[in-house]
Amino acid sequence: MRTILHVVMTVLALGVFAGTAQAQFVPGASAPEEQVIPEPSPNDVREFLRLLGDPGIQDWIRTSVDDSGQTDNGPALSLREQLEVQLARIAERAQSLSLAWDIIPQMPALMADVWASELSHAQKVRSVTYILTFLLIGLGLEWLYRQFMRYPLLRMEQAPKDAPLEKLTGATVRAAIIFAGLVVFAIGSIGAFDAFDWHPLVEALVLDFLVMVLLFRVVTTVSLFFQAPFAPELRLVPYNTPIARYLHTKVRLLTLAVVLATAMSYMLNRIAGMREMDLGDNLAAVALAQTVFLAFVVVLVTWACIWLAFRRVPELCSEKPDPRRLTFWRNYLIVLTGLVFLLWLIGLFGLMSAVLVVGMVVPGLTLMTAWIDHFFDQSTAAQHEQQMARALIAREENAAPGDSDVESADEDTEPETPQFADPYAATRPIVQRAARFIFLMSAVVLLSTAWGVNIFDLSADRSVLGRILEVLIDSIVALLLADLIWTWARTVIDKRVADYEPPVDGQAPGPEARMITLLPLLRTILMVALLIMVSLSVLSAAGVNIAPILAGAGIVGIAIGFGTQSLVRDIVAGIFFLIDDAFRLGEYIEVGDLMGTVESISVRSMRIRHHRGKVHTVPYGELKSLTNHSRDWVIMKLEFRVPFDTDLQLVKKLVKKVGAELAANEHYGPSILSTLKSQGVRRMEEFNMVVGVKFMTKPGEQWLVRRDAYQKIRDVFEANGIRMAERNVKVEIEGGEALTEEQRNAVAGAAQEAAQGPGRPPKPIPDEP
Amino acid sequence: MADTATAGARGAKLRLRIMIATGMVMFVFITMHLTNLALGLRSVQTMEDWRWALSGVWSSFLPLKVLLQISLVLHFLVALVSLYWRNTLRLPAYDTAQLVAGVLIIPLLGMHVFGVMAVKELGLEPTYALVLGQFWVVSPLDGLQQVVMLVVAWIHGAIGVYTWLQAREGAVRARRFFYPFVVALPILAMLGYVEAGRQIIPVEEGGEAFVLANDPNAAGPTVDPAMIPEIIAQAKERPVTATRISLGLVALVLLARWIRLNRTVRSPVRVTYRGRRPATFEAETGLTLLEMARTNDLPHASMCRGRGRCGTCRVRVVSGGETLPPAGEPEARVLASWQAGPNERLACQLRPMAGDLVVERVVEADYSNLEDVRALRDGGTPAGAT
Repeated sequence: MRTILHVVMTVLALGVFAGTAQAQFVPGASAPEEQVIPEPSPNDVREFLRLLGDPGIQDWIRTSVDDSGQTDNGPALSLREQLEVQLARIAERAQSLSLAWDIIPQMPALMADVWASELSHAQKVRSVTYILTFLLIGLGLEWLYRQFMRYPLLRMEQAPKDAPLEKLTGATVRAAIIFAGLVVFAIGSIGAFDAFDWHPLVEALVLDFLVMVLLFRVVTTVSLFFQAPFAPELRLVPYNTPIARYLHTKVRLLTLAVVLATAMSYMLNRIAGMREMDLGDNLAAVALAQTVFLAFVVVLVTWACIWLAFRRVPELCSEKPDPRRLTFWRNYLIVLTGLVFLLWLIGLFGLMSAVLVVGMVVPGLTLMTAWIDHFFDQSTAAQHEQQMARALIAREENAAPGDSDVESADEDTEPETPQFADPYAATRPIVQRAARFIFLMSAVVLLSTAWGVNIFDLSADRSVLGRILEVLIDSIVALLLADLIWTWARTVIDKRVADYEPPVDGQAPGPEARMITLLPLLRTILMVALLIMVSLSVLSAAGVNIAPILAGAGIVGIAIGFGTQSLVRDIVAGIFFLIDDAFRLGEYIEVGDLMGTVESISVRSMRIRHHRGKVHTVPYGELKSLTNHSRDWVIMKLEFRVPFDTDLQLVKKLVKKVGAELAANEHYGPSILSTLKSQGVRRMEEFNMVVGVKFMTKPGEQWLVRRDAYQKIRDVFEANGIRMAERNVKVEIEGGEALTEEQRNAVAGAAQEAAQGPGRPPKPIPDEP
Repeated sequence: MADTATAGARGAKLRLRIMIATGMVMFVFITMHLTNLALGLRSVQTMEDWRWALSGVWSSFLPLKVLLQISLVLHFLVALVSLYWRNTLRLPAYDTAQLVAGVLIIPLLGMHVFGVMAVKELGLEPTYALVLGQFWVVSPLDGLQQVVMLVVAWIHGAIGVYTWLQAREGAVRARRFFYPFVVALPILAMLGYVEAGRQIIPVEEGGEAFVLANDPNAAGPTVDPAMIPEIIAQAKERPVTATRISLGLVALVLLARWIRLNRTVRSPVRVTYRGRRPATFEAETGLTLLEMARTNDLPHASMCRGRGRCGTCRVRVVSGGETLPPAGEPEARVLASWQAGPNERLACQLRPMAGDLVVERVVEADYSNLEDVRALRDGGTPAGAT
């Protein structure tokens, strides 16, 4: 929190410094004089054209352009020279500091002197009166606005909010309302002030003061936004009201110190700037002494705040944090503050900002990560709670109808508490990365601003430092962006893969199976693509000409493409098969004359396991058509041969009974989609009738059902006196009564042979798993 | 102890009435005075032309003069009594601001009042030219003090009138007028003061050195010249005395209050608030329920901020109400005006006794159901209901 504020303050301070610096160096805009420029006469135009055509003039123009172009580049300093310049600056700074040190004892008198000579009593009083007036105007208008917004704001602050997203929305709306009030305040105070003409010094003083008040209030509002010390429902940070209030007070104190010190230091510096001519170095030294003194006070206040906060906050915490880490971070912040002050003191402003920004990056990132984590944890917890509450209500509703079976209902529903999945598992890392990206980018921008480098205009800067910075920034941006995309893709893909439940043995796999086969492939492709793109952009940023690489890659790509035509065909065909959803892992398929279960799907080919153990590898390019045996349902038809004298009604009844038995089976019963039923006589044959029966099951279950169906039908037929037809030959011999037993047997044998025809080997049994 | 507490409560209503009446008198005075200052935006001459009507009337017309003086003294004294009876100084922001502003007024004001009196004793007319000259040219720091005083006094008075209007239900239109007025007047007055100062300041200091058309003080002081130093010394002496007396009284009252609170026997109370966000806290007897809630950072609706007038802080006592003292006369009247149920009480008047107390808010802390409550009282259906 403190860090965020620090950064915010740094940003604001930098903004203000930049603004004032600009304001100081921009000369007062004099009112442009209205001049009426007459149209050029035809003579003038002719003369101008003649001059342009003159070679002497042309030469002059050319040389003068060259000159100005050269002077723009300026002499490049070597490292040693630069160091010398820096050292000289430090020495100069030390000199002026020692002068300031000498002056410090006389400072109050000197300041009073300057103060009295610069502003008359009336002017001073008027300044203060103006400040009060304009503050009152601003505050009054804001009060009116707040009066208008009072109830919406109260409602926003006090309505119970459980989900952090609600809190965030509430806090944002509240901050917006408060900021709108601040805008009203700013317009009321600064706007009303600006509407008048003032003595320049008074104007500067009053404006400084008003801006400082505004700045203070902005920082306070930001603290209010996060900590909400008076509205616990809107608090975004994970600590209780006493801590929030304590830290809020500290933040305000710190801001007050900074703002006051800045205002006072501006005040004297402005006077010094105005009176430079009269008093010379003395006043500048006084201004410097005062600034140093004020900065030291600010550092002292910062130290005190850090020290006190690190001592008091753990006391207010419900769970004690690790004291060693506390000590470390406290000392770290104290040393950092001291170091920044020291660097500022010896005049290395760029280095100071760099140390400040870099020093704040690590704790800032840690805090931000922890904050985002907390935010998501809270969201997840809130959702979980909601789900539990819903489940509870549903259970009560279930239990409500019959009072007698409340207990049993409870017992029934207790075990099936809904399984809770983190809804933000995919969002969280993305938000983390995005936040980190923004944070680091802001740090880089701050850093470059501190060094006076315009990162949006780096290509114009030809110095070594500029080049290095440019390369670094480009590479970091490319890396961070790639990292962001990669994190997002990886979490999404990993989550889907992790959520996938492989089908239970014997069950057809769900539609998710297809994606599971595609996703890892996609991930690899993405990773390779990102890596190539990042390395190319880093190379390009570093000044390596990547056009040949790209061209080379193109040529090699074409060559490889020709060489691996079939490979490419396999891969592309495979992707389309997967998109068509022609087969999935674990399905039983038939490809040409190969059959089996799909065991693995790779980029180029798939592997099919025959039910007798043979493994076929089939490249996708070879697939013309593909038969899938594992989709949705299977119908199986069975036949029986019964004699002509069979009671078909009885057969139908018996088959129905068997069908009911099969459907009631505890193992495969649920897989039967439409149970066994008789289709009546399918055809008549020479010696018997063919009775057809059929049933429909889920794929893969039909074999087991068939086995049982045959068995049960046979048993039940036998029990009811229905026999299966058998092939028999009836031989009638005229006057055959006289035949002997031996002759009968011979005749029967001959007839049998005639009936069966010449002996053929039995057909091969069709393959079935 | 209970006797004094009820006596305090009984006196509270009378005190409130006196405060409002005297406060209104002074608010009218300060409004007129500031209007007069605002005329400085036109010119010092206009200020001076209207002085007799807007400011002078309070010092030249005896009944008004007496009324103003009595109001000031009475207001201050009654405020001291109220301060004595305050149970806690953890007040809402508005009350804190009013209290601090109230304490500051006399030290800031004294110099101006006694200065004007001294001018009169010198036989001069306290014209704006004279007084502004004093404040802008002779001693600008005193002028600054007057500006601060203006802001402080106006804030004090405006908060008082604001609270009074808030607690009155029918004052919607009055509020619509009052809000812009309360912001505009002091701003105009201060701008008028600055503009008049610009006119008064001598030319060499960047002003216009304004001179009144027919200055009654042109002849100089009419009093015996020997008396002048004494009068001036007195004018300097009196504000200091007044400051000492007022601050001393405040300190004495605070001390007495401290003694009173220290002598009170306190026993623990456990209060539970039901509702959207149930809350339970421990407190000690002696405070009102509203004060307990505030001390424990529990938001509570209260338009009049605990003066027992608006009825928005009322709570429904769910359990533990047996030991509570019955509602006093003012409380009962507010409750009756809301047609409150038998177990409803005003949190700002209710002093919980030792033990457990379970209550629930009638009006939510964010006033979200205030309209419904009003509609219920007026016999209709709630606003949202169909």
